[in-house]
Amino acid sequence: MNRRTLVGLLLLWSLGPLLWQVYTSFCSDQALIQPFVSHDQRWTLIHYQSVLNANPPFWRYLVNSLIVGISSTFLCLLLALPAAYALNRIPRQLSALSRLALVGAALFPYVLLFLALLELARALNLGNQLLALSLPYAALSQPLAILLLNNAFNDLPPELEDAAKLEGLSLFQRFRWIFIPLISPATASTAILVFLFSWNEYPIALTWISDSSKLTLPVAMARIAGSSIYSVPYGAYAAATVLGSIPLVLLVLIFQKPIVSGLTSGAVKG
Amino acid sequence: MIIFLLLPALLLLLVVFVVPLFRYAWLSFHADSVITGLIAIPNGGANWLRLLQDLRYWQDLGQTLRFAGVSVGLELILALCIALLLDQRWRGRDVVRTLALIPWALPTTVMALGWRWIFNTPYGPIDHFTKIAGIGSLNILGDPNFAWIATVWADVWKTTPFAALILLAGLQTIPADLYEALRLEGGNALICLRRITLPLLRPYILLALLFRLAQSFGVFDLIQVLTGGGPASTTESIALYAYWNALRFLDFGYSSTIIMASFVLISLICVIAWIGLQVLIPTHPKSRGVIEL
Amino acid sequence: MTLQIQNLGRHVGQQWIVRHLNLHVEDGECVALVGPSGCGKSSTLRLIAGLDPVSEGEIILNQKNISHVSAAQRAVGMVFQSYALLPHLSVFANLELGLRVRGVRPSDRQQRIQAMLELVQLQDRADVLPAQLSGGQRQRVALARALLRDPDVYLLDEPMSNLDAQLREELRPELRRLVLDRQKPVIHVTHDQHEAMAIADRIAVLHSGRIQQVATPTELYHLPETLFIAKFIGRPQINCLRPKDGVITAVRPESLFFAKEGLPCKLMSREWLGSSQLLYLESPEGSLRLSCSTSVDIPESLIVSWHRSDEHYFDEDSGRRL
Repeated sequence: MNRRTLVGLLLLWSLGPLLWQVYTSFCSDQALIQPFVSHDQRWTLIHYQSVLNANPPFWRYLVNSLIVGISSTFLCLLLALPAAYALNRIPRQLSALSRLALVGAALFPYVLLFLALLELARALNLGNQLLALSLPYAALSQPLAILLLNNAFNDLPPELEDAAKLEGLSLFQRFRWIFIPLISPATASTAILVFLFSWNEYPIALTWISDSSKLTLPVAMARIAGSSIYSVPYGAYAAATVLGSIPLVLLVLIFQKPIVSGLTSGAVKG
Repeated sequence: MIIFLLLPALLLLLVVFVVPLFRYAWLSFHADSVITGLIAIPNGGANWLRLLQDLRYWQDLGQTLRFAGVSVGLELILALCIALLLDQRWRGRDVVRTLALIPWALPTTVMALGWRWIFNTPYGPIDHFTKIAGIGSLNILGDPNFAWIATVWADVWKTTPFAALILLAGLQTIPADLYEALRLEGGNALICLRRITLPLLRPYILLALLFRLAQSFGVFDLIQVLTGGGPASTTESIALYAYWNALRFLDFGYSSTIIMASFVLISLICVIAWIGLQVLIPTHPKSRGVIEL
Repeated sequence: MTLQIQNLGRHVGQQWIVRHLNLHVEDGECVALVGPSGCGKSSTLRLIAGLDPVSEGEIILNQKNISHVSAAQRAVGMVFQSYALLPHLSVFANLELGLRVRGVRPSDRQQRIQAMLELVQLQDRADVLPAQLSGGQRQRVALARALLRDPDVYLLDEPMSNLDAQLREELRPELRRLVLDRQKPVIHVTHDQHEAMAIADRIAVLHSGRIQQVATPTELYHLPETLFIAKFIGRPQINCLRPKDGVITAVRPESLFFAKEGLPCKLMSREWLGSSQLLYLESPEGSLRLSCSTSVDIPESLIVSWHRSDEHYFDEDSGRRL
């Protein structure tokens, strides 16, 4: 097999299922049931209309996910940046041990934490609050964020900070003038990975949020799947899938560089 | 001073990762369900005894292991092929790499819904295909023999890009002169793969393997949306069973026991996988150029 | 203003990196710290700068004990081997940062940086990023930053070892003009003994965390206090004869000459170095190096001798001069 065929197969495998959803979302119900029969009205926008005019409208979930994504990313970076810096300035054995623990935590299937986190939400009365979700999200992405940012701090020549100390820069000023600008590529990678995680997270959002106007996108999608009573509601499903995928496809296309470097720098140095 | 920079992150990590484990361990020795009025009452090892005799748990465990083993195995093989393809230089490579990453970025539940339509009987494309091919309608999501394959398929589709990217990063660290040296000694592509690529890739394979193994052992989103654990619980995973116990049967004590057991199992599996990989792929050569055919 | 270091030491865990360090540097005096890599040169500098904590002893600058004063408050000007310029800031912004955080008014900053750039002859490169400068120019920016600090002591950590040999020679007089004329104590760390001899008033030789000898370059060459120093200072390396009764006799290669009577030798190889030549000889006393002018003819019968006054004696066990 030559390379062109292989690349074609790869693209078909990766994008085929998605394109099928796009195709489905524009087909009328009749065309879906009988794909090989010609229909007067094969193409339709009715599925998009029904999804967008549902109660609550579909864009509501996108906005909710956006709010959660941004606030989690912000909180995560706020905590991870100082911690990643400090990790190099504690005794070496302790720091190596911490890194190992962080790798373990990053590997851990966080799904299993849902029950304890649910109890936490009940105890602290955090249920049904969008912004409260950023607390577990920031915490769950903390291991990866600290490891990635710590790698970035490690890559900086230590003399830069030494020289700045001699010039009289305080810790805050060193962050402001040296670290923040110099590790910004790693920060961007980390931010986008944390954002993707928060946007896509399901089990915790499922257990923390029940108010239908506050659902994040993944939970809303699952709920659509579970509640539908129509015989063939897949046109509407597909429209929802396409609408739910568009922001992420755009995100990957725009930010592919920081995403790839974030995913791989952890691997290369870890 | 330094401790104040670490403290907030440390505190959050403790609350979210460490406290739950102790809580689960504690709850697993308590009855905490609707029957006790959702109040934890010590019941000795009753939960653990129940776990040992719970046939559904053992069935789920077997299914989860089958799912994790098959999907991670397929994923790594496929990811290695994709990484090898993307490691070569050709026009449009970066665009293809970006496009191939899209499945990984989409929310699992969103595409799980998509897969439900693709596997749908009788209207999905797979069903059309099998009918045209003369196999007839397979009723994929309704047949215990096929439903689990559908979950594996969807999982491999979604997570292969991640593994491929990790392996690609590893491939790019291998210096080209190693291959050239082996070619000069008469090594063919297969020998290169076995003597250079796989040994030098081992740390990356290990990382992808451990990460994916642990994550797929906790598979939840995909199965809940794609099959709901059905048909007849044949695709139910341990995480899903723990979820049902907690949120449907409101039995927190028993759910904690399942989770605690899973945690121990995952740690064990990761250690076994780690050792297994050491045996499977020989240690990479210490010095450059010293590779025996 | 003088710098006095008394019994200075630092340990990490059980390991002493630097210990029992005593050094006195006068205003306008340059002391070079030399020694093999890992001997504690840079660690000493970091202790004086306040970048590492002092475990024992005192650093006294201008009659004030600064051993436990923070780096920011020590008024130390340091030049790093890697220059330590911020890659995302222009030359001007790099110089300005320190002045800004020390609260200098914007108009003052502008004026002082302009004057400094003229002094280091970089007035037309103010808006350029460090990456666009040559190694020598980066070096001068790093120097300018230290000078702008107007410090009480200058610490130069291998400031020229990232430059090629020719540029290093060109920069030496400039370093002298810019730093040594400021009438402040200067400590210059280098692994290059030629550079140390060319610039420094005195040289301190460090070996495994201790100062072995502090002396002027001539003293160090003619009266090395230990065998280690005798071997470390002077190239080609000093010849050590077979030890007798616990005494090692050492003679510099340039003190050897051909004579009628003396040590019969065999020529092993010869290096031609332009103005001089270096002969590798094999003798009953072991292998010898002989350095002489290229104008010297090599006789048929190689008999080597030297003056008794050129011999150095060291104790075989302690390595100390006898």
